[in-house]
Amino acid sequence: MEYIVVSVLNGVVHGLLLFMVSAGLTLIFGMMGVLNFAHAWFYMLGAYVGFTLTRLGGFWIGLLLAPIVAGLAGVLVERYMLRRVHKYGHAHELLLTFGLAFIIEEVIKLFYGDALVSYQMPNYMRFAAFTIFETNYPFYRLFMGAVALAMFVILYLLLTRTRVGIVVRAATYRPTTVEALGHNLPVVYMAVFAGGSALAGLAGAVAGAFYPTGPNMAVDFGTLVFVVVVIGGLGSVVGALIASLMIGLFISFSVGLNVSIADLFGLIGLGSWASDVGGLFTLQLSTIANSMPFLLMLLVLLIRPAGLMGDRQ
Amino acid sequence: MSAQPSPIGEPVLELKALRKSFGDTEIIRGVDLAVLGGQRHALIGPNGAGKSTLFNLISGHYAPTSGDILLNGAPIAGFAPHIINRLGLSRSFQITNVFPRMSVAENLRISIMGRRGHRLTLFRSIRSLSAVNDEVDEYLQNLRLTRRRDSLAGDLAYSEQRILEMGMALATDPAVLILDEPTAGMSRDETTYIVDLIRRVTEGRTLLVVEHDMSVVFTLCDHVSVLVYGEIIASGEPSAVRADRKVQEAYLGEEVH
Amino acid sequence: MINARTIVPLLAALGLLVILPLFLSPNLLNAAIKMMIAALFALAFALAMGQAGMLSFGHSAYYGLGAFAALHLMRAVEHKLFGFPTPMIPLAGALIGFLFGLVFGWFATQRTGVYFSMVTLALAELLFTLAPTWNALFGGESGISTIRGPSWGINFGSDADVYYLTLGWFVVSAWCMWAFTKTPVGRLALALRDNEQRVRFLGFNTHVARTLIFAISCLFTGVAGALLAIANEAANYTIFSAQASANVVLQTFIGGAGTFFGPALGAMIMTFFARITSDLTRSWLLYQGLIFVLVMLFAPQGLGGLADLHARKVRTNGWKHLVAPYLLCLVVGLLLIAGLVFVVESIHVVLTDAYLAKRAAAKGEWVPYELFGQTFEPFSPVTWAIPIMLVAIGSTLLPVARRITARAWLAATRDVPDEPIAPSASAAPVAPPS
Repeated sequence: MEYIVVSVLNGVVHGLLLFMVSAGLTLIFGMMGVLNFAHAWFYMLGAYVGFTLTRLGGFWIGLLLAPIVAGLAGVLVERYMLRRVHKYGHAHELLLTFGLAFIIEEVIKLFYGDALVSYQMPNYMRFAAFTIFETNYPFYRLFMGAVALAMFVILYLLLTRTRVGIVVRAATYRPTTVEALGHNLPVVYMAVFAGGSALAGLAGAVAGAFYPTGPNMAVDFGTLVFVVVVIGGLGSVVGALIASLMIGLFISFSVGLNVSIADLFGLIGLGSWASDVGGLFTLQLSTIANSMPFLLMLLVLLIRPAGLMGDRQ
Repeated sequence: MSAQPSPIGEPVLELKALRKSFGDTEIIRGVDLAVLGGQRHALIGPNGAGKSTLFNLISGHYAPTSGDILLNGAPIAGFAPHIINRLGLSRSFQITNVFPRMSVAENLRISIMGRRGHRLTLFRSIRSLSAVNDEVDEYLQNLRLTRRRDSLAGDLAYSEQRILEMGMALATDPAVLILDEPTAGMSRDETTYIVDLIRRVTEGRTLLVVEHDMSVVFTLCDHVSVLVYGEIIASGEPSAVRADRKVQEAYLGEEVH
Repeated sequence: MINARTIVPLLAALGLLVILPLFLSPNLLNAAIKMMIAALFALAFALAMGQAGMLSFGHSAYYGLGAFAALHLMRAVEHKLFGFPTPMIPLAGALIGFLFGLVFGWFATQRTGVYFSMVTLALAELLFTLAPTWNALFGGESGISTIRGPSWGINFGSDADVYYLTLGWFVVSAWCMWAFTKTPVGRLALALRDNEQRVRFLGFNTHVARTLIFAISCLFTGVAGALLAIANEAANYTIFSAQASANVVLQTFIGGAGTFFGPALGAMIMTFFARITSDLTRSWLLYQGLIFVLVMLFAPQGLGGLADLHARKVRTNGWKHLVAPYLLCLVVGLLLIAGLVFVVESIHVVLTDAYLAKRAAAKGEWVPYELFGQTFEPFSPVTWAIPIMLVAIGSTLLPVARRITARAWLAATRDVPDEPIAPSASAAPVAPPS
């Protein structure tokens, strides 16, 4: 029981964090078709901006300015780089952002070094929200979850209930028609890219104060955000949320489960045979927890390439 | 050029009660059509009648919702495009659809080497395939593209790209060649030129052509079928179809030129 | 086409490569081995990317599998399970690369565009995350190691032996890949890159064709991996990392994915660049990223593409127009690079622990720092003037240089019909059948 409750809690929070980081990419990929490889690096940028501003002015200023800085960086990238190579196609855009990821990471490393930085939440937020099975559950985890949920609600309403959202969504399907109706598409694209980057920046500032902030934080998420976007489906915020929670729960459950394929064979009386074969059969589920998201992504790509909630490829 | 023998007067391509729906909308609503060997069959109809959908069904791009498509008597409905092509039906496209960064000769060579069984040949140089290369030259000459043989297909003039595109479909040596608006977007002179060319290079072949230009239909074809709202409303000799009241009402407006 | 104009420089280059070990220091000889392996990897990657338009983000999978296949074979030989000549060990890499290329490629090629890239990425990440926990096959986190056994009267103890082994396999593989472009399937690859849809309607099973081409690319990738394993006598799971896949993408596009030898050139240059600069500065990845982004922005067809453009368009006597403008461009570029490097390296030095300790010792004073063997005062006008002057002069001259070069280009290429330069990184727009 304890195991289930704690796993669910951790899984949900981890999933929400994943959603926070990938929400912006869902937006960018869905609306512009740009698979921004550097997305997780905007998350990293947000964390470091948050860290710097917490020292200079305080935690909340960091939280406020991190998305703005990341958003402005997004504007520059879209306006002066992506737009230039748009005519060469999406693969070229992917490559460009891929180089960009290197640059962001290395510039940050240049200033902050290769070690972790001590980015901390304010002390008054450092308390246990409640105690469960004699373990204190940190309030900040709930705070992160709340930010992610707020992000989801705002994005969802923005896309489905406002005029801007309708234009943006229409642009996904019929860019030329939207342009013919007098909407300035380049500006829409710039805003979408900036918005997506800003979301990543906010996620960085929020999560960086709880999880380690260091040079590897982007790489750790670099491919995982793709997994979320692909599983969730093109541009679907709801899909991204579901995918994130799925991955979060999957990882948190499998980390604690010492089950192997051989054990499953044991159920049908072939356990010792499978153990003798070894290799994949005896790998513990907990040790391959990190492979699970990629396995899921593969299955989705091969079986339902439009993703869980997507309606086209 | 060797044309596959198609039995003159026998049905080569037959559509039987063919239907296709997208969601709730039925685009093709029970089409029956027979294209006879050696026939030059035009498919006409107003915009949105379903001509392109019909072509996509025949060539294997879509699978029909119900009904049959027979090629030389064998069912091909729902087959993959490459299988249908190998069975002897080749299509051209309404939008120019060539390999833009390859030379004109190489564009044609893809068709020809495929038909001659070099689809996955790994251990022979293309230069050693002299039968293929001779045939490429032959096609270049017949299509009057010899002068452009080494130009990139993407650099050709629009009308030349359309000729090349048709030539690629033709070079797979099909029993039935289906052409999707071969003169779309061309000037008067270009149209005259390409219609003349098509007549010449498709001599003796079975043709199914979607065409808007009535004068093209009357010069190129000996049989016309009219598709309106997913149904064939008339089929017959051009002059008979022209005189048909239903056709005049539905499609041609008041007068046929 | 094989003719005197291409065969002579190639033979000369080959001759040079054969006598090279006589002149190289051990360190440089090792670098040369790694450069050739990287070049082979890039050529193999480009066979899928440049020829057939399949942008694989997971080629490290086949590189790593090739390496581990070779290591297991070498271990079997080492433990006298059976005999196998060391020079033939890359065949194991080729076989495993090809087999996995067929299986993985069968799945990946069901998708096109970025979705294809995502499938390849997922497959490689799957291996990367599985390998460290799979002791029997990949030796856990530490990996597996072995030694090169002597065979054919050569003991393969020295780097020179490894160099010739690598060179031999590089030449044979490169020749095979070159020959591949001349086969029907090689031509079909180009057609698939340009317009897969059309190929399907011409009677080709494009899924089978794409799988085969992908597997051939993986075959040579496996050879490269095996050569790396032979050179290092060891490998661990990090060979599967996204970083390794990323490197080959980077190198290929800097070299020019649309040309045959461009990727090899890019790989050699960037491997050498990494080797040199990683000893000199810790920011070398920043410089590498900058180079890549600049190439993507301003020369999307890569170095090979630029060379090809010149070879095709510049008239025989056109070069005399270009020499001076290109020298000017070089000067401008060097000025800007110098300014940038100065700033980056200064920041770097000023933020090192050693410098911070010095400052602490001097009670927080901004003590002078050392860079390029010189001493600079952090806040002296001279220190600030250097990069500002370099960048200022560079950026003033930049538009001038661009204008002059554009004019010279026109003069050097007049009378040659203008052809659109197709981008190398993307497939041409595909017209959907309507």
